Amino acid sequence: MWSKKFKYQRVRLLVQAGAFLVILLNPLVIYYSKCSFVQGWYQSLAIGKLWFVSPLEGLESILVSKTVYFPLVIGLLPPVILALFLGRVFCGWICPINFLSSLVDRVFKRQGAKDQVVLPLWLIWFSLIGELMFSMIIGAPLFVFLSPPGLVGREIMMVVFFHTLALEGIIIVVVLALNLVTKRFFCRYLCPLGALLALLGVRRRLIVKLEAEKCKGCRRCGAVCPLGLAPQRGQAQGPYCWNCGTCIDVCPHQALTFFWRSGGENTSLHRGQNDTPPQGE
Amino acid sequence: MKRSNQEHINPKLFSARPLDKGRRTFILGLLGWAFSSTAAQAKGFWGSPVKTNHLRPPGAVSEEIFAARCIRCGRCAEACSYRSIKILDIRSGIFAGTPLIEVEKTPCFLCMKCGEVCPTGTLRPLKPEEVRMGVAVINTRQCVTWRAVALCRTCYNVCPFKEKAIHLDRLRPVVDEKFCTGCGICVHGCPVSPKAINVEPL
Repeated sequence: MWSKKFKYQRVRLLVQAGAFLVILLNPLVIYYSKCSFVQGWYQSLAIGKLWFVSPLEGLESILVSKTVYFPLVIGLLPPVILALFLGRVFCGWICPINFLSSLVDRVFKRQGAKDQVVLPLWLIWFSLIGELMFSMIIGAPLFVFLSPPGLVGREIMMVVFFHTLALEGIIIVVVLALNLVTKRFFCRYLCPLGALLALLGVRRRLIVKLEAEKCKGCRRCGAVCPLGLAPQRGQAQGPYCWNCGTCIDVCPHQALTFFWRSGGENTSLHRGQNDTPPQGE
Repeated sequence: MKRSNQEHINPKLFSARPLDKGRRTFILGLLGWAFSSTAAQAKGFWGSPVKTNHLRPPGAVSEEIFAARCIRCGRCAEACSYRSIKILDIRSGIFAGTPLIEVEKTPCFLCMKCGEVCPTGTLRPLKPEEVRMGVAVINTRQCVTWRAVALCRTCYNVCPFKEKAIHLDRLRPVVDEKFCTGCGICVHGCPVSPKAINVEPL
Protein backbone atom coordinates (compact mmCIF):
# COMPACT_ATOMS: atom_id res chain seq x y z
CA MET A 1 0.00 0.00 0.00
CA TRP A 2 2.73 2.48 0.97
CA SER A 3 4.69 2.00 -2.18
CA LYS A 4 6.84 4.72 -3.68
CA LYS A 5 4.07 5.34 -6.19
CA PHE A 6 2.99 8.94 -6.43
CA LYS A 7 -0.20 9.53 -4.44
CA TYR A 8 -2.49 12.43 -5.13
CA GLN A 9 -3.89 12.11 -1.62
CA ARG A 10 -0.62 13.21 -0.02
CA VAL A 11 -0.48 16.28 -2.18
CA ARG A 12 -4.15 16.98 -1.61
CA LEU A 13 -3.83 16.70 2.16
CA LEU A 14 -0.94 19.18 2.04
CA VAL A 15 -2.94 21.60 -0.11
CA GLN A 16 -6.00 21.26 2.15
CA ALA A 17 -3.94 21.76 5.29
CA GLY A 18 -2.25 24.78 3.71
CA ALA A 19 -5.59 26.26 2.70
CA PHE A 20 -6.88 25.72 6.22
CA LEU A 21 -3.76 27.26 7.73
CA VAL A 22 -4.37 30.38 5.64
CA ILE A 23 -7.74 31.03 7.26
CA LEU A 24 -6.46 29.88 10.66
CA LEU A 25 -3.34 32.04 10.79
CA ASN A 26 -4.56 34.97 8.78
CA PRO A 27 -6.77 36.54 11.49
CA LEU A 28 -3.94 36.09 13.99
CA VAL A 29 -1.45 37.79 11.68
CA ILE A 30 -3.85 40.67 11.04
CA TYR A 31 -4.83 41.05 14.69
CA TYR A 32 -1.34 40.98 16.16
CA SER A 33 0.81 42.48 13.42
CA LYS A 34 -1.77 44.84 11.88
CA CYS A 35 -0.51 43.75 8.47
CA SER A 36 -3.63 43.08 6.41
CA PHE A 37 -1.93 42.12 3.15
CA VAL A 38 -3.91 38.88 3.03
CA GLN A 39 -7.51 39.24 4.18
CA GLY A 40 -10.63 37.23 4.53
CA TRP A 41 -11.48 33.58 4.08
CA TYR A 42 -13.20 31.50 1.44
CA GLN A 43 -16.13 33.87 1.03
CA SER A 44 -13.83 36.58 -0.17
CA LEU A 45 -10.08 36.36 -0.02
CA ALA A 46 -7.71 39.18 -0.86
CA ILE A 47 -4.01 38.85 -1.55
CA GLY A 48 -2.92 42.44 -1.83
CA LYS A 49 -5.13 43.92 -4.49
CA LEU A 50 -6.04 40.55 -6.01
CA TRP A 51 -9.54 39.68 -4.89
CA PHE A 52 -11.34 36.37 -4.96
CA VAL A 53 -15.07 36.24 -4.31
CA SER A 54 -16.91 32.98 -3.81
CA PRO A 55 -19.17 32.49 -6.88
CA LEU A 56 -22.41 31.74 -5.03
CA GLU A 57 -22.02 34.59 -2.56
CA GLY A 58 -21.31 37.00 -5.40
CA LEU A 59 -24.22 35.66 -7.45
CA GLU A 60 -26.58 36.01 -4.48
CA SER A 61 -25.44 39.57 -3.90
CA ILE A 62 -26.08 40.45 -7.55
CA LEU A 63 -29.43 38.63 -7.76
CA VAL A 64 -30.90 39.82 -4.49
CA SER A 65 -29.72 43.44 -4.59
CA LYS A 66 -30.32 43.54 -8.37
CA THR A 67 -27.26 45.69 -8.88
CA VAL A 68 -23.92 44.85 -10.43
CA TYR A 69 -20.77 46.27 -8.92
CA PHE A 70 -17.94 45.86 -11.36
CA PRO A 71 -15.13 45.07 -8.86
CA LEU A 72 -17.34 42.23 -7.59
CA VAL A 73 -17.51 40.74 -11.10
CA ILE A 74 -13.72 40.95 -11.37
CA GLY A 75 -13.42 39.19 -8.02
CA LEU A 76 -15.75 36.45 -9.26
CA LEU A 77 -13.67 35.77 -12.37
CA PRO A 78 -10.75 33.72 -10.92
CA PRO A 79 -12.91 31.13 -9.09
CA VAL A 80 -15.34 30.90 -12.00
CA ILE A 81 -12.54 30.34 -14.51
CA LEU A 82 -11.00 27.76 -12.17
CA ALA A 83 -14.34 25.93 -11.99
CA LEU A 84 -14.85 26.14 -15.76
CA PHE A 85 -11.53 24.40 -16.41
CA LEU A 86 -11.04 22.20 -13.37
CA GLY A 87 -14.57 21.63 -12.02
CA ARG A 88 -15.25 21.30 -8.32
CA VAL A 89 -11.60 21.44 -7.27
CA PHE A 90 -12.47 24.00 -4.61
CA CYS A 91 -14.57 21.35 -2.83
CA GLY A 92 -11.96 18.64 -3.09
CA TRP A 93 -8.75 20.56 -2.56
CA ILE A 94 -9.47 23.77 -0.63
CA CYS A 95 -12.83 23.77 1.20
CA PRO A 96 -12.25 23.79 4.99
CA ILE A 97 -15.42 21.75 5.57
CA ASN A 98 -14.02 18.93 3.47
CA PHE A 99 -10.70 19.15 5.32
CA LEU A 100 -12.42 19.04 8.72
CA SER A 101 -14.67 16.22 7.49
CA SER A 102 -11.63 14.15 6.53
CA LEU A 103 -10.27 14.78 10.03
CA VAL A 104 -13.61 13.56 11.45
CA ASP A 105 -13.29 10.47 9.25
CA ARG A 106 -9.82 9.82 10.64
CA VAL A 107 -10.81 10.39 14.27
CA PHE A 108 -13.90 8.15 14.06
CA LYS A 109 -12.12 5.67 11.76
CA ARG A 110 -14.79 6.02 9.12
CA GLN A 111 -12.59 6.18 6.03
CA GLY A 112 -13.82 2.84 4.71
CA ALA A 113 -17.24 2.94 6.37
CA LYS A 114 -20.39 2.33 4.42
CA ASP A 115 -22.83 5.16 3.73
CA GLN A 116 -26.01 4.66 5.72
CA VAL A 117 -28.26 7.08 3.85
CA VAL A 118 -27.88 7.21 0.09
CA LEU A 119 -29.97 9.73 -1.79
CA PRO A 120 -30.00 10.63 -5.46
CA LEU A 121 -27.14 12.97 -6.36
CA TRP A 122 -29.34 15.33 -8.38
CA LEU A 123 -30.79 16.64 -5.12
CA ILE A 124 -27.91 19.10 -5.09
CA TRP A 125 -29.40 20.96 -8.06
CA PHE A 126 -32.64 21.48 -6.16
CA SER A 127 -30.62 22.74 -3.24
CA LEU A 128 -29.04 25.40 -5.49
CA ILE A 129 -32.30 26.39 -7.17
CA GLY A 130 -34.24 26.38 -3.92
CA GLU A 131 -31.63 28.41 -2.10
CA LEU A 132 -31.48 31.07 -4.82
CA MET A 133 -35.26 31.23 -5.22
CA PHE A 134 -35.90 31.47 -1.49
CA SER A 135 -33.24 34.15 -1.08
CA MET A 136 -34.78 36.18 -3.87
CA ILE A 137 -38.30 35.77 -2.49
CA ILE A 138 -37.44 36.96 1.00
CA GLY A 139 -35.02 39.54 -0.39
CA ALA A 140 -32.11 38.50 1.76
CA PRO A 141 -29.28 36.19 0.74
CA LEU A 142 -29.04 33.16 3.02
CA PHE A 143 -25.91 31.34 1.96
CA VAL A 144 -23.74 34.37 2.70
CA PHE A 145 -24.23 33.99 6.44
CA LEU A 146 -25.12 30.30 6.67
CA SER A 147 -22.51 28.78 4.36
CA PRO A 148 -20.49 26.19 6.34
CA PRO A 149 -17.16 26.89 4.56
CA GLY A 150 -17.63 30.61 5.15
CA LEU A 151 -18.68 30.05 8.76
CA VAL A 152 -15.43 28.21 9.51
CA GLY A 153 -13.51 31.32 8.51
CA ARG A 154 -15.88 33.68 10.29
CA GLU A 155 -15.76 31.70 13.54
CA ILE A 156 -11.96 31.71 13.54
CA MET A 157 -11.99 35.46 12.92
CA MET A 158 -14.62 36.01 15.65
CA VAL A 159 -12.50 34.12 18.18
CA VAL A 160 -9.34 36.05 17.35
CA PHE A 161 -10.90 39.51 16.98
CA PHE A 162 -13.81 39.52 19.42
CA HIS A 163 -12.96 36.55 21.70
CA THR A 164 -16.39 35.06 21.14
CA LEU A 165 -18.10 32.56 18.86
CA ALA A 166 -21.10 33.24 16.67
CA LEU A 167 -24.13 31.08 17.48
CA GLU A 168 -24.63 29.97 13.90
CA GLY A 169 -21.38 28.00 14.19
CA ILE A 170 -23.59 25.11 15.32
CA ILE A 171 -24.19 24.56 11.59
CA ILE A 172 -20.56 23.50 11.20
CA VAL A 173 -20.97 20.94 13.98
CA VAL A 174 -24.14 19.55 12.37
CA VAL A 175 -22.54 19.37 8.92
CA LEU A 176 -19.49 17.58 10.31
CA ALA A 177 -21.66 15.22 12.37
CA LEU A 178 -23.62 14.26 9.24
CA ASN A 179 -20.38 12.64 8.04
CA LEU A 180 -21.04 9.90 10.58
CA VAL A 181 -24.24 8.99 8.73
CA THR A 182 -22.98 9.34 5.19
CA LYS A 183 -19.57 10.52 4.05
CA ARG A 184 -19.80 14.21 2.97
CA PHE A 185 -23.59 14.18 3.30
CA PHE A 186 -23.82 17.95 3.09
CA CYS A 187 -21.33 18.20 0.20
CA ARG A 188 -23.13 15.52 -1.78
CA TYR A 189 -26.74 16.53 -1.45
CA LEU A 190 -27.10 19.96 0.12
CA CYS A 191 -24.24 22.34 -0.65
CA PRO A 192 -25.52 24.99 -3.09
CA LEU A 193 -21.99 26.29 -3.66
CA GLY A 194 -20.87 22.81 -4.69
CA ALA A 195 -23.84 22.66 -7.05
CA LEU A 196 -22.91 25.97 -8.65
CA LEU A 197 -19.30 24.86 -9.09
CA ALA A 198 -20.53 21.55 -10.53
CA LEU A 199 -22.75 23.45 -12.94
CA LEU A 200 -19.83 25.60 -14.04
CA GLY A 201 -17.66 22.51 -14.43
CA VAL A 202 -20.04 20.45 -16.55
CA ARG A 203 -17.77 20.96 -19.58
CA ARG A 204 -14.52 21.14 -17.62
CA ARG A 205 -11.19 20.16 -19.12
CA LEU A 206 -9.73 18.19 -16.22
CA ILE A 207 -11.49 14.87 -15.72
CA VAL A 208 -10.77 11.51 -14.15
CA LYS A 209 -10.67 9.33 -17.22
CA LEU A 210 -11.54 5.66 -17.14
CA GLU A 211 -9.67 3.37 -19.49
CA ALA A 212 -12.27 0.68 -19.73
CA GLU A 213 -9.92 -1.97 -21.16
CA LYS A 214 -7.64 -1.74 -18.08
CA CYS A 215 -10.50 -1.88 -15.57
CA LYS A 216 -10.97 -5.26 -13.92
CA GLY A 217 -14.14 -4.19 -12.13
CA CYS A 218 -12.80 -4.52 -8.57
CA ARG A 219 -14.89 -1.47 -7.52
CA ARG A 220 -12.29 -0.21 -5.05
CA CYS A 221 -12.64 3.25 -6.54
CA GLY A 222 -16.37 3.34 -5.80
CA ALA A 223 -15.75 2.29 -2.21
CA VAL A 224 -13.36 5.15 -1.48
CA CYS A 225 -15.06 7.93 -3.45
CA PRO A 226 -16.07 10.58 -0.88
CA LEU A 227 -19.08 11.46 -3.02
CA GLY A 228 -20.27 7.89 -3.50
CA LEU A 229 -19.69 8.01 -7.23
CA ALA A 230 -18.85 4.95 -9.28
CA PRO A 231 -15.70 5.80 -11.26
CA GLN A 232 -15.73 2.26 -12.67
CA ARG A 233 -18.81 3.30 -14.61
CA GLY A 234 -17.21 6.54 -15.80
CA GLN A 235 -19.19 8.64 -13.31
CA ALA A 236 -16.05 10.57 -12.42
CA GLN A 237 -16.39 12.29 -15.79
CA GLY A 238 -19.83 13.59 -14.91
CA PRO A 239 -20.61 16.92 -13.26
CA TYR A 240 -20.57 15.80 -9.62
CA CYS A 241 -16.94 14.68 -9.43
CA TRP A 242 -14.68 17.09 -7.57
CA ASN A 243 -11.39 15.79 -9.01
CA CYS A 244 -9.89 14.83 -5.69
CA GLY A 245 -8.05 11.86 -7.17
CA THR A 246 -8.86 9.41 -4.37
CA CYS A 247 -10.03 6.82 -6.88
CA ILE A 248 -6.88 7.23 -8.99
CA ASP A 249 -4.72 6.39 -5.99
CA VAL A 250 -6.54 3.20 -5.03
CA CYS A 251 -6.91 1.78 -8.52
CA PRO A 252 -4.53 -1.21 -8.67
CA HIS A 253 -4.65 -1.38 -12.46
CA GLN A 254 -4.03 2.28 -13.30
CA ALA A 255 -7.31 2.35 -15.16
CA LEU A 256 -8.10 5.85 -13.83
CA THR A 257 -5.99 8.89 -14.67
CA PHE A 258 -6.31 12.65 -14.61
CA PHE A 259 -6.91 13.65 -18.19
CA TRP A 260 -6.90 17.08 -19.80
CA ARG A 261 -9.37 16.95 -22.63
CA SER A 262 -8.97 19.52 -25.34
CA GLY A 263 -11.87 21.55 -26.70
CA GLY A 264 -12.66 19.18 -29.58
CA GLU A 265 -13.11 16.23 -27.27
CA ASN A 266 -16.15 17.58 -25.51
CA THR A 267 -18.13 14.61 -26.73
CA SER A 268 -16.02 12.30 -24.58
CA LEU A 269 -18.14 13.48 -21.67
CA HIS A 270 -21.21 11.81 -23.08
CA ARG A 271 -19.30 8.78 -24.21
CA GLY A 272 -17.88 8.40 -20.73
CA GLN A 273 -21.24 8.60 -19.05
CA ASN A 274 -22.86 6.11 -21.38
CA ASP A 275 -19.99 3.66 -21.25
CA THR A 276 -21.19 0.16 -20.83
CA PRO A 277 -19.99 -1.11 -17.48
CA PRO A 278 -16.92 -3.32 -17.71
CA GLN A 279 -16.82 -6.88 -16.47
CA GLY A 280 -17.85 -7.40 -12.88
CA GLU A 281 -20.55 -4.78 -12.93
CA MET B 1 -92.62 42.53 2.29
CA LYS B 2 -90.96 40.28 4.78
CA ARG B 3 -92.23 37.21 3.07
CA SER B 4 -91.11 38.24 -0.39
CA ASN B 5 -87.68 39.01 0.99
CA GLN B 6 -87.34 35.54 2.33
CA GLU B 7 -88.45 34.14 -0.98
CA HIS B 8 -85.62 35.90 -2.73
CA ILE B 9 -82.93 34.70 -0.38
CA ASN B 10 -81.98 31.09 -0.45
CA PRO B 11 -83.14 29.78 2.96
CA LYS B 12 -80.17 27.47 3.20
CA LEU B 13 -77.79 30.39 2.91
CA PHE B 14 -79.85 32.41 5.35
CA SER B 15 -79.75 29.75 8.02
CA ALA B 16 -76.03 29.26 7.50
CA ARG B 17 -75.28 32.90 8.11
CA PRO B 18 -74.76 33.00 11.89
CA LEU B 19 -72.54 29.93 11.74
CA ASP B 20 -70.56 31.43 8.85
CA LYS B 21 -70.00 34.60 10.80
CA GLY B 22 -68.68 32.73 13.77
CA ARG B 23 -66.38 30.70 11.60
CA ARG B 24 -65.13 33.76 9.81
CA THR B 25 -64.28 35.60 13.00
CA PHE B 26 -62.60 32.48 14.31
CA ILE B 27 -60.45 32.08 11.21
CA LEU B 28 -59.69 35.77 11.03
CA GLY B 29 -58.78 35.78 14.69
CA LEU B 30 -56.53 32.78 14.21
CA LEU B 31 -54.84 34.43 11.23
CA GLY B 32 -54.46 37.69 13.10
CA TRP B 33 -52.96 35.94 16.08
CA ALA B 34 -50.54 33.98 13.89
CA PHE B 35 -49.60 37.08 11.96
CA SER B 36 -49.07 39.26 15.01
CA SER B 37 -47.03 36.64 16.82
CA THR B 38 -44.80 35.99 13.82
CA ALA B 39 -44.51 39.73 13.25
CA ALA B 40 -43.40 40.17 16.84
CA GLN B 41 -40.79 37.45 16.39
CA ALA B 42 -39.88 38.69 12.96
CA LYS B 43 -38.99 42.12 14.25
CA GLY B 44 -35.88 40.63 15.73
CA PHE B 45 -35.25 38.52 12.67
CA TRP B 46 -35.94 41.07 9.95
CA GLY B 47 -35.31 44.29 11.81
CA SER B 48 -32.22 46.35 11.15
CA PRO B 49 -29.65 46.57 13.95
CA VAL B 50 -28.97 50.21 13.05
CA LYS B 51 -30.13 52.62 15.76
CA THR B 52 -28.77 55.52 17.81
CA ASN B 53 -24.97 55.10 18.16
CA HIS B 54 -25.14 51.74 16.34
CA LEU B 55 -24.12 52.60 12.80
CA ARG B 56 -22.91 51.09 9.58
CA PRO B 57 -19.27 51.66 8.60
CA PRO B 58 -18.54 54.70 6.43
CA GLY B 59 -19.65 54.66 2.81
CA ALA B 60 -22.41 52.08 3.40
CA VAL B 61 -25.31 51.73 0.97
CA SER B 62 -28.80 52.41 2.27
CA GLU B 63 -29.96 50.05 4.98
CA GLU B 64 -32.75 48.58 2.82
CA ILE B 65 -30.33 46.82 0.51
CA PHE B 66 -27.44 46.37 2.95
CA ALA B 67 -28.38 42.80 3.87
CA ALA B 68 -28.94 41.94 0.21
CA ARG B 69 -25.63 43.29 -0.95
CA CYS B 70 -23.16 42.40 1.80
CA ILE B 71 -21.62 38.93 1.41
CA ARG B 72 -20.42 38.85 5.04
CA CYS B 73 -16.79 38.26 4.12
CA GLY B 74 -15.67 40.20 7.19
CA ARG B 75 -12.83 41.90 5.38
CA CYS B 76 -13.97 45.33 6.57
CA ALA B 77 -13.58 44.19 10.17
CA GLU B 78 -10.17 42.73 9.41
CA ALA B 79 -9.04 45.89 7.64
CA CYS B 80 -10.34 48.23 10.36
CA SER B 81 -7.26 49.78 11.95
CA TYR B 82 -9.03 50.71 15.17
CA ARG B 83 -11.14 47.56 15.62
CA SER B 84 -14.21 49.78 15.48
CA ILE B 85 -16.12 47.39 13.22
CA LYS B 86 -17.89 44.53 14.95
CA ILE B 87 -19.47 41.56 13.18
CA LEU B 88 -23.04 40.68 14.15
CA ASP B 89 -24.18 37.10 14.70
CA ILE B 90 -27.39 35.18 14.06
CA ARG B 91 -29.23 37.02 16.85
CA SER B 92 -29.52 39.84 14.31
CA GLY B 93 -31.47 37.54 11.98
CA ILE B 94 -30.86 38.17 8.31
CA PHE B 95 -28.28 40.79 9.26
CA ALA B 96 -26.00 38.09 10.72
CA GLY B 97 -22.42 38.63 9.67
CA THR B 98 -22.85 42.27 8.72
CA PRO B 99 -20.53 44.94 10.13
CA LEU B 100 -21.66 47.47 12.73
CA ILE B 101 -19.87 50.26 14.61
CA GLU B 102 -20.92 50.98 18.17
CA VAL B 103 -19.58 54.51 18.42
CA GLU B 104 -20.07 54.69 22.17
CA LYS B 105 -17.48 51.92 22.60
CA THR B 106 -15.17 52.59 19.66
CA PRO B 107 -16.03 55.30 17.15
CA CYS B 108 -14.97 55.43 13.51
CA PHE B 109 -11.75 57.37 12.97
CA LEU B 110 -12.44 57.71 9.25
CA CYS B 111 -9.29 55.90 8.06
CA MET B 112 -11.45 54.68 5.15
CA LYS B 113 -9.74 51.28 4.85
CA CYS B 114 -13.04 49.36 4.94
CA GLY B 115 -14.45 50.99 1.82
CA GLU B 116 -11.27 50.14 -0.06
CA VAL B 117 -11.45 46.43 0.70
CA CYS B 118 -15.20 45.79 0.35
CA PRO B 119 -15.61 43.49 -2.67
CA THR B 120 -19.34 44.08 -3.12
CA GLY B 121 -19.62 47.86 -3.06
CA THR B 122 -21.70 47.68 0.11
CA LEU B 123 -19.09 50.02 1.57
CA ARG B 124 -17.81 52.50 -0.98
CA PRO B 125 -14.42 54.17 -0.90
CA LEU B 126 -15.03 57.82 0.02
CA LYS B 127 -13.08 60.82 1.21
CA PRO B 128 -13.47 61.27 4.98
CA GLU B 129 -15.40 64.53 4.61
CA GLU B 130 -17.94 62.83 2.31
CA VAL B 131 -18.91 60.23 4.91
CA ARG B 132 -22.46 60.33 6.30
CA MET B 133 -22.82 57.51 8.81
CA GLY B 134 -25.39 59.51 10.73
CA VAL B 135 -25.64 62.90 12.32
CA ALA B 136 -24.70 64.00 15.83
CA VAL B 137 -27.48 65.49 17.91
CA ILE B 138 -26.81 67.39 21.12
CA ASN B 139 -29.22 66.86 23.96
CA THR B 140 -29.24 70.37 25.37
CA ARG B 141 -30.95 69.22 28.56
CA GLN B 142 -28.14 66.77 29.23
CA CYS B 143 -25.14 68.80 28.06
CA VAL B 144 -23.43 70.50 31.00
CA THR B 145 -22.39 73.47 28.90
CA TRP B 146 -25.89 74.04 27.60
CA ARG B 147 -27.23 73.71 31.13
CA ALA B 148 -24.60 76.23 32.20
CA VAL B 149 -23.34 73.86 34.89
CA ALA B 150 -19.78 73.62 33.60
CA LEU B 151 -17.70 74.77 30.68
CA CYS B 152 -17.10 71.53 28.73
CA ARG B 153 -16.24 71.48 25.05
CA THR B 154 -14.90 67.94 24.64
CA CYS B 155 -17.05 67.22 21.58
CA TYR B 156 -15.75 70.35 19.91
CA ASN B 157 -12.15 69.45 20.75
CA VAL B 158 -12.28 65.87 19.47
CA CYS B 159 -14.30 66.53 16.31
CA PRO B 160 -12.20 65.75 13.21
CA PHE B 161 -14.02 68.58 11.40
CA LYS B 162 -13.79 71.15 14.15
CA GLU B 163 -15.31 74.53 13.34
CA LYS B 164 -17.24 72.95 10.49
CA ALA B 165 -19.20 70.03 11.96
CA ILE B 166 -19.20 71.37 15.51
CA HIS B 167 -18.65 75.02 16.29
CA LEU B 168 -19.09 77.02 19.47
CA ASP B 169 -21.93 79.46 19.71
CA ARG B 170 -21.29 81.61 22.78
CA LEU B 171 -19.14 78.72 24.15
CA ARG B 172 -21.95 76.20 23.61
CA PRO B 173 -21.37 73.39 21.06
CA VAL B 174 -23.61 73.38 17.97
CA VAL B 175 -23.65 70.66 15.29
CA ASP B 176 -23.85 71.62 11.64
CA GLU B 177 -25.65 68.79 9.83
CA LYS B 178 -24.08 69.87 6.56
CA PHE B 179 -20.60 68.82 7.69
CA CYS B 180 -21.20 66.18 10.39
CA THR B 181 -19.96 62.76 9.19
CA GLY B 182 -21.53 60.81 12.05
CA CYS B 183 -18.20 59.25 12.99
CA GLY B 184 -19.16 59.31 16.67
CA ILE B 185 -15.83 60.48 18.07
CA CYS B 186 -17.78 63.19 19.96
CA VAL B 187 -20.09 60.53 21.46
CA HIS B 188 -17.09 58.52 22.55
CA GLY B 189 -15.53 61.62 24.08
CA CYS B 190 -18.59 63.04 25.83
CA PRO B 191 -17.95 62.77 29.60
CA VAL B 192 -21.61 63.08 30.60
CA SER B 193 -23.61 59.95 31.38
CA PRO B 194 -25.98 59.30 29.69
CA LYS B 195 -24.28 60.88 26.68
CA ALA B 196 -25.26 64.44 25.91
CA ILE B 197 -24.37 63.99 22.24
CA ASN B 198 -25.56 60.99 20.20
CA VAL B 199 -25.32 60.00 16.57
CA GLU B 200 -28.68 59.31 14.96
CA PRO B 201 -28.72 57.18 11.80
CA LEU B 202 -29.92 58.95 8.68
